[in-house]
Amino acid sequence: MAELLLDSDIRIWVFLPIVLITFLCGIVRHYVSVLISTQKKVDLQQVQDSQAMIRSRMLRENGKYIPKQSFLMRRHFFNNEESGYLKTARRPAAPQPMTDPNMMVEMLKGQLTNVVPMIAIGGWINWTFSGFVTTKVPFPLTLRFKPMLQRGIELVSLDASWVSSASWYFLNVFGLRSIYTLVLGENNAADQARIMEEQMSGAAMNMPQDPKAAFKAEWEALEIADHKWSLKDVETDVLQKAELELPIDIQSYANTA
Amino acid sequence: MSGRVRTRIDRGTGEIVAYSDAAVRNNMAVIEYCRTSMAALSGATAGMLGLTGLYGFLFFFLAGLVLWVMLLLKAGSKWQQYFVSRKSLLTSGLFSGLFTYILCWTFLYGMVHVY
Repeated sequence: MAELLLDSDIRIWVFLPIVLITFLCGIVRHYVSVLISTQKKVDLQQVQDSQAMIRSRMLRENGKYIPKQSFLMRRHFFNNEESGYLKTARRPAAPQPMTDPNMMVEMLKGQLTNVVPMIAIGGWINWTFSGFVTTKVPFPLTLRFKPMLQRGIELVSLDASWVSSASWYFLNVFGLRSIYTLVLGENNAADQARIMEEQMSGAAMNMPQDPKAAFKAEWEALEIADHKWSLKDVETDVLQKAELELPIDIQSYANTA
Repeated sequence: MSGRVRTRIDRGTGEIVAYSDAAVRNNMAVIEYCRTSMAALSGATAGMLGLTGLYGFLFFFLAGLVLWVMLLLKAGSKWQQYFVSRKSLLTSGLFSGLFTYILCWTFLYGMVHVY
């Protein structure tokens, strides 16, 4: 197809400003959300519960390294019918996220810093820079990408790899995400998805929404956990290994003794 | 770096390997940092060189491979101290960098070659 010649003023007054605006708005959004976000309060009960869960899981995973009596003792602490921690803990049912006003405010703040600027700036860019062909992606694309990349210009004959100004903005929004990680550090607010991910896999995981169900599951898992001591013949094993490694030393030691 | 210690059974030898969860996560974060930088820089390079089509994507994978080799050279023969697996070092997060790469590539290509 014939090459399109673009005015270089478009580069200075449309192409670059969109990149700059998107980038700087992401940074501003980060600081705004840092400003308005409230530190999440963790009550003592929750911390206690989550620590108990972690201890119970460690017991299940590493219980084989302690003697059977110790294992049973610890399991008794958690699982005893009358006094076990997992049995006796009475927790109020988890509040519904919709009825909890704090949750609502948090969600609203998230929306406010995330969606609203994106729509507002997107609309503004659409309005100010509408109808420009800004750039060309350096690889060929099929016709199905045309509505995605050429929002705002309805030209049938235009090749699919040309990008309109509105679509260039959206490309920036998605592509700059990991750049924010570079600029703002690991836990930045400009990238909400990553934060969610980290909360899900976090080491000090918060208590799940419903402690009762979690306790019941943990109780069950602990109940069927079998104690198989892995240090059973450890003395003879170690002695044998030592003999194999240092046969002469042990011999001479035996002679002198 | 403190943190919980996790154990995992090595599939090859059947041995139990213990590693610190927090340290592994920290290493992963550093790798992610390197990967993003590499994607942005290689994207800018590809754009300035004016690579188009498949060559650009080949360049991306080449850059990923080079980064992998450099990381392994940096870790040296004791890579097992730092990473759980060598293969996942190459593959994990390769495609999340692709978006950044395409953006930088398109940006520089547009700046230099289109106008």
